Parts: sequence; C-alpha cells; structure tokens
Amino acid sequence: MWLRVTHLLQSTGRHYIRQLKSRVKNKVPLTSCQIMPHHRTLVLTSCVKNEEKKVNPEQLDLDIWKTIMRENATEAPKPVPSEDLEDSFLAATREMVQMWRLAGKTVPENITEEQLSTVQELPSKSAKKKYLKYLAIKEGKKKATKEKRKLKQEGAKDLQKEKENEEGIALKNTYLLQFWQRSFDALYNWRTVQSMMFGQPLVFDMSYESYMAHREMENTVSQILECEGYNRRSLDPFHLHFCNLNPEGSYQKELLKRYGDAWNRLLITITEKSYVDIFPKDKLVYLTADSPYVLKTFQHDKIYIIGSIVDKSIQTGLSHANAKRLKLATARLPLDEYLRWDSGAKNLTLNQMISILLTVKETGSWLEALKFVPKRKHEGFFPLPMEQRYYSRTRNDENKKTNINKPQTKARWQKSSLRLNQPVERSSDSHKKRWWTEEH
Amino acid sequence: MMSAQSLRGVVPRLQRVFGSLLPPHQGAARLSPCCVGPELCIASKVSMSTERNQNDGSKRKVSTAKPERTAHRGNTGSSFSLFTAGAARKRAEFTKGQMGDTLGDDAPAVTKVSKTAIPIKPLSIDEWKKLKAEGYNKTRFEVSMMEKLLSTRADVDVAKSLLVFVTMETGTVEYELLLKYLALCVQKQQLSEVLDLYVILNSRFKVLDVGAYSLFISGFSKTDHWRQAVMFLDSIKKMITPSPRNYGDIIISALWHKEVETAWRLFKEMEGKNLKPNEDTLLAFFDCGKSFCDDQYENKMMYILSYLRDNQIYPGEQLMHSIHSWFESIPGNSWEGHVTTILHSGECQVCNTVLESIQLSEEEYNLLRKHVMNDIIQGTDVFKKTTPQELQHFQTFVQNRLPFDVVIDGLNVANITAKGNQSRILLDVVSHLARQNLRLLVLGRKHMLRGTASWNKGHMAVIQKCADCFFTENISEDDPFLLYATMHSGNHCKFLSRDLMRDHKACLSDKNTRRLFFKWQRGHQLVLSRYNPGHKMKFEIIPKYDTIVQTTNNTWHIPYDEEGVERCSYEIPRKWLCLQRHN
Repeated sequence: MWLRVTHLLQSTGRHYIRQLKSRVKNKVPLTSCQIMPHHRTLVLTSCVKNEEKKVNPEQLDLDIWKTIMRENATEAPKPVPSEDLEDSFLAATREMVQMWRLAGKTVPENITEEQLSTVQELPSKSAKKKYLKYLAIKEGKKKATKEKRKLKQEGAKDLQKEKENEEGIALKNTYLLQFWQRSFDALYNWRTVQSMMFGQPLVFDMSYESYMAHREMENTVSQILECEGYNRRSLDPFHLHFCNLNPEGSYQKELLKRYGDAWNRLLITITEKSYVDIFPKDKLVYLTADSPYVLKTFQHDKIYIIGSIVDKSIQTGLSHANAKRLKLATARLPLDEYLRWDSGAKNLTLNQMISILLTVKETGSWLEALKFVPKRKHEGFFPLPMEQRYYSRTRNDENKKTNINKPQTKARWQKSSLRLNQPVERSSDSHKKRWWTEEH
Repeated sequence: MMSAQSLRGVVPRLQRVFGSLLPPHQGAARLSPCCVGPELCIASKVSMSTERNQNDGSKRKVSTAKPERTAHRGNTGSSFSLFTAGAARKRAEFTKGQMGDTLGDDAPAVTKVSKTAIPIKPLSIDEWKKLKAEGYNKTRFEVSMMEKLLSTRADVDVAKSLLVFVTMETGTVEYELLLKYLALCVQKQQLSEVLDLYVILNSRFKVLDVGAYSLFISGFSKTDHWRQAVMFLDSIKKMITPSPRNYGDIIISALWHKEVETAWRLFKEMEGKNLKPNEDTLLAFFDCGKSFCDDQYENKMMYILSYLRDNQIYPGEQLMHSIHSWFESIPGNSWEGHVTTILHSGECQVCNTVLESIQLSEEEYNLLRKHVMNDIIQGTDVFKKTTPQELQHFQTFVQNRLPFDVVIDGLNVANITAKGNQSRILLDVVSHLARQNLRLLVLGRKHMLRGTASWNKGHMAVIQKCADCFFTENISEDDPFLLYATMHSGNHCKFLSRDLMRDHKACLSDKNTRRLFFKWQRGHQLVLSRYNPGHKMKFEIIPKYDTIVQTTNNTWHIPYDEEGVERCSYEIPRKWLCLQRHN
C-alpha cells in the first residue's frame, strides 16, 4: 500500500518535471503549464448553489422546529359555550385583545370589563386599535411612574438610615418654622378668596359638551384643572366662573371624578346659568380664534370668556357662532401682530390662554404674555410691535429694503405659508386700511 | 399696442391666471396675434405660431426652462377643465414651479442601514448565535430578523433555519414569530407550508387574531382547501368587519373553481356591508366570465356594471380591457368595443350615441336643493356661516328678483390674478357678461363697498348698475348664498367661481347627495379659464353629458381611469370604453 502511494507520487512528480523541461525547451510561458495537480475550485454560480442545497446536510433538519412544536402542542381546551350572550361576546373580545398582544400589537396587558365593553362598542377596527394603543401607552406610563417611585423610596430610606447613623445632630437655630406646602396653600387660598370678592371675572363657557368626544372631554377637564391651579398660584388671580355647566352632564361627572372631595371646596363660581344672565352684555368679550377683531390691549374692566372645548377635529366657527348668537363682542389674541407664525392652529389650549391672560394682566406687555404660545408654532417675535413697524415704514422708504413684511392677518383655518421671493410691491398693502384691524 | 417691456411683465401674470389650466408658457404663445407685433416676439424670445389650434408639438424656444407640453385643444372633447383627471396634479406642479422650487422635491426617504446583515442562505444554529451576538437588538432579534426577511422577500429556507435556531434556543416559537413566518410563506406562495402552519397554530391556540385569519384566507384560497377560507372569514366576522381584500381573495378563488354561486353570495354580502370591492375582485368576475356563457351569469355581470354606476366607481385600465374582452366573448351578440373620447355635445365619437345629460332630474334637483339649504347653509347652527336675519334678508332679496342666469362670486373673481385692481377685474367680468344680456347676481362682502384702493367706489357703482348685488356681513360666508341663489334660479342658472366647493360638499350628510352635488356642480359651474385685461374672456366649456357608466339598448359607455394619470376624488376620467352591439 505504502509503496504504491510513493510510487504514484514519484511517477506524477517525474511526469511534471518532464513536462516542465519540455515547456522550457519550447519557450512556453510558465503560467500556462499546469504544475499543480488538479484541485477543486469554487465557482460561484447559481447552479452550484442549488446543488449545494441538495447536498446541504442542514436541509434535513430544517423542519425540526415543526416536530418540536407538534410535540409541545397542548390540546387546546374547547371553549365552553357560556349561557349569557353578552358574556360570550366580552370573552371573544378579550380573546381578540390577547391574541393581538401575542401578535405584537400595542395593546394593554390588563384590561377591565368597562374598557372591554368600550372596545366592543367602537365601530371600526382602526378605532379599536387606536383605543387599545391609548390604553397600552397609559399602562406603560403608570408602570414607569411606579418604578420611579420605588427607586425614590429606596433612596429616601437609605438617607434616613444615614441620618440615624449620624448621632448627635445639632439642632438648628432658626427664627422661622419651615414653610410647608400647607402654608403655601393657605396663602394662595386667601388670595383667591380676595379675588372672588374683588377680582376681575374670567368666564369658562362650558356649553360645548355635546360637541366633544369622550377623549376630548377628558382632555378639556385636564386643561381646566391646570387653569385653576395656575390661577390660584398667580399674584392677582382672576375670579373664575364656570358658566353653562349642566349638573347632570358628563362634564360635571368628569370634573367630580377628577377633583374628588376638593370640588366643593374650590374657590370658583360654578353655575348652570349663562354668563349673559350674570354680567352686563356690554362688558363681555368672547375670545375666539375666528374673530375678526384683535385684542390690542387687555382691559381690566371687561369680562373675558373662554370657550372650554378641545376640538381635535377642528370645528371652525363654533364659539364664534355662539358669540354671534348672543351679539357679544369678540376678539382674538394678537398672535399675527407679534409672532412670526409658522405652523399649527391658532387655537391655543385653555391653560395657555389663562397663562397669557394672567401675564398680560400683570405686566401689560404682550411680548411677555405671548411667551406661553408653544415655541413649535412660531419662529420668534417680530423685532418691533406692529404699530411701530407700520409708522416706521411709512416715514422712510429705506425700510422697504429690510425684509420686515407686515404679517398678513389670516384666519385660523388658513395655513400660513412663508412667502419667498415676494415682490417688493407687496409691502404697499400695508398702506391700505384694513377693515378687520379696527378697534371694536 | 404693448411694449416689449410690458409683455415681459405679462407673461408671468398670464401664467398665474390660467396656469392651472394650461402649460405655463402656452399662455404667452396664445396671446391674440393681432395685438402682438413680431418684434415683441423677439424681445420676449417666444416664437409664436399665429394659428390658434395648433397641436403639432413643434418645439418652441421658451425663456422659461420648463418641459414642453402641448395641450390638444379644440373640439376633440379632450379639453382640459377644472374637473378632468389630472387637473389638480397640474395645478400643484405649476404652483411648485412658481415658488421657484424652493421647497424642493421630497427628499428620498433615507433607508436605515441595518447593522445586521441579512443572510441569503440557511444558517446553522451556531451561525445564528454569532449573528445574534453581533446584532444590537438582542431582545427582539428573531422577530426583527423575520421582518427583514419579509421585507426583502427572502427565501423561506432561511426563515426555517431561523425557526430551528429559535426552537433549539428556547424550545418553542412565539406566536408573533410564527405570524411573521406565515406572512412570508403566503408572500412566497409556499402553500404546503401554510397548511402545516395552520395545523400547528390550531393545535396550540384556541383562537387566532384577525391578521392570522386574513393570511390564512389568502393562503388557503390559492389551494384546493379554499372552502376552508370561508370558515376563517366567519371567524373574522365574529370580531370585526372583514376587509374587501378578505372577501376578494375568496371570491377570486371561488370563481377560478367555477363556484359562481358562492362568489356571488359573498359579493352581495360585501355590498350589504358597504364595502367597496377591489379592482382585482371585479377583474376576476369579468376574466372568468369568458368560460361561462349562460344568461344568468350575463345578468350578474350587468348587475356589477350597474353597481359601478350607482356607486360612481370608475374601472382602471386593466379592468376596462377585461370588460371589453368579456363583452366580445359573448356568443350570439356581436359586441364591438373601442376606446374613445366624447365630444362636447355629448356624442360618442365611435357610435354617435348621445350620452346621458348632466342635468339632474326634477326629483333629484329638489332633493339637492333641500339638502343644500339644510346641511350647507343652516347646518347644526345657522350662526356658524351667517345669521338668521341675514338669511331671511337674502331669501326675500332673491325671491323678488328671480330668476338669474349667472350668479357671480365677486371676491373669487376679483382675486383671479394677484396683479391688477380687484374692483376693475370684477367690473370687467360683470360688464362682459352683462353685454350678453344675462341677468346677473353678484355676491360679495360689505367691505367691498368701503371704497379702498383695491375697491374703487366708482367701479362698484357701475357693477351695481349692471347686476343685482348682495353684500353679506364681513364675517359671513358667501359661498352658501351663491349655491342657494343658483339652485333657486332653476336649472338654466350657472355660477361663476374657481372655487371647487369641496368644503361645502363635505357638509352634505350622505354619499348620494354628495354625488348629486358634484354632478350639479359640473353642469353649472362656469370657470374663467382665461383672463387678461383688455382681451377676450374665455370660459371653460361645460360638458353636456354625465361621466358615468351608462347603457342604452345596444350600447355601453364606460368611463375609465387611464394608467399613469392621477385622479383626485373631485375629478372625473376623460377616456371612455364604447361598446356597441351589431345584430
């Protein structure tokens, strides 16, 4: 055996050497001579890939997972038909939610019966998915806050232990007791009570219950809570009035749910009556983004009305229509006059409104007040307020070259677009007196 | 006679005027030849042909570097108007050009470069392990990998090897991963694999989710087990309304298996649920129809065509060809089909049949009038758009002066160009119409009477001499009044505005009324297609026929959507399929 192999090697070796010699003789370039014995080369073609598949040893166990899954298969329990139809429906919905969870959709882990019936009543698949996603996000946030609280508590415990370890803490000598939150609350309450007797009224019109979906109403109530809180903390609070509040309505229910026991201790006036019945009509001004009139100066003897509505599907002209019906004066905030509006609707949230009104009431400066307009909606303030810009442009023409265009007053439903390559002649518009900028 | 200087200024203005309707430079080229001298052409570098209706597509040198397009106009019936398919697209492109393309085209979406390479061959368990260790998303590695395989339409074997890896690691496969794998199998038409998966999933889970059932429907309907897909459909029905796609899959397979009754039952069920069938579902009906040639099936097809008519669905080009060949395959009646356009007179160019009129019937007209009053003007709150006093005032005003021939939206007409004095433009248009002895009503707002730079009091006085005018409050809407006045003047009355009235159409409560409104609008809206001061005014031609699937005793006319033309919901197709029967 060995002999034979060596012999074979020798013979091949000899054969190659002979070949080489003859090639050199015939002056054939070396590259073309096959010195090396034949070896398998890997040619990358698709055919070979197919061949490889056939010979691929793994091909055999590609279906292993199936057999394993079948072995693991638990006999699915047959669903027991329940006697109650409603129950079975609920169960079916619950199962659907569970399966969606397994399929990796954003649905909550735990779901209450009440939420399930809400899911069931929603008309379309997309509505169901949206609602479930909302619940899932809510659940996630809850979990996160819980965990944070746990961490905080543990940290506090550690601190406590450290303090206990440090024996003999010297007592501090102070002339004031610590100013607790309780004392703050008392202070705020005194102020608010004062405003209830002598302050300027600010009305929230609660008559938009029927125009809102449930979610929108929840948002509105959240905003109202923020309003009341912000008002209470201010130096000179408004006397808040919740008018047109239906005592049997869902609004009232939601407010009660959110405020709890504090509802009866709130230092605001809550009434079913309309603002028209309480206040003189000529003093009322309805604030609405659809108004053609601009609120130039905040007047301390007027009573401003804010429609408390969240309209996610923008309902143009709703509050304006109300004001028209009652023949009230209307006004909108001077957003276009002070801000380079970028995008977004000009209807602001209730808490932004009250912040703006409180600030302008205290300081009298719109520049200060309009800092509460969300930054994403505008590109900054104009360097000069409107009147000054107008005069300076009419006085000297040099300002024509500066690119300060008077903002065009646009109603809320129009998207403000940034006009580029505007011809210079456009600025002559500002000479024209506009019917909608006059004082009411 | 204009100077070259002024012409240069006119060109962009013209473009602004009817840019929505014409290719940008065409306006300049169509200036009335009698008033533009040849030396001006040189000045503005526009070499113009003096023929009005030229559509030879000769290359004109245009100062603006815009692609050359020729609009075939004339009486060929394919003239371009506000409502023809593609008009909105053109307008958008034009305004984009006007903005100087500062917005730029939408930047191509940056595809995220995945850090993990997607294997193209089945990997062994160790290789998968290595890949997972390299991957950054360790928690959902398997699912995200399966998603990648799905999006790159990878080989099923790769997915299988991934599943092997997962089972070896964890001893089981999650539902989500199985679902993604099922999607891949359905995508790659691995039908035996789909059947296996069904067995596995059925043994492991009591019920499945809607997504799984949908996938099984589309998988099973391609196999001999397609009848089982009907059961899946029932399971979906327990949870939600199935999608048109679910129904479509089963209908198509039923038709291929010659089960017309099942397909028909499902089609009716869809109709009952107000679901709009997909194009390929309808396509299957006509495609399979060639093998059946009984009267019953023919009646069903006729029913489908009337369904298209009632729901104002326009078939696409592919479906149109399918309908065409189905008609020609009917034995006995020798149907013959042609693709055509319709003349303005409403006559088909092939068979000379006059199409249905665009005018509403008496009954429809009254219904629409009632709805416009209730939904658009009053709505839930009269104060939203006007006040009751104003409405009352307007109604009496109109009653005393009826009927009008043209109702003009003053503000819309006055703002037709950005340049030029607004009251001047309105006066031009009103006097032009008044010369034709038409009874006019001009609607405006009160601020037009104030006498400002753009609203000259003298002009307004002349306008009030030529036409009846009604000025609403500055905070009221004028369009509803326009619609009301036009409707109450009767069927002959037109209104002049470039507004598409989409927001008012949306106020209407039900689909049917919206359709009626759109039909009425197409037949009664005058649109100023060309306006430049001191020149002839041109209005868009109002078609006399209704664009809808329609039939007479031995013809069918079916409007269809051309491929590659984007049609908005407020537009109608231009091309027709004309079918006639030769006995």
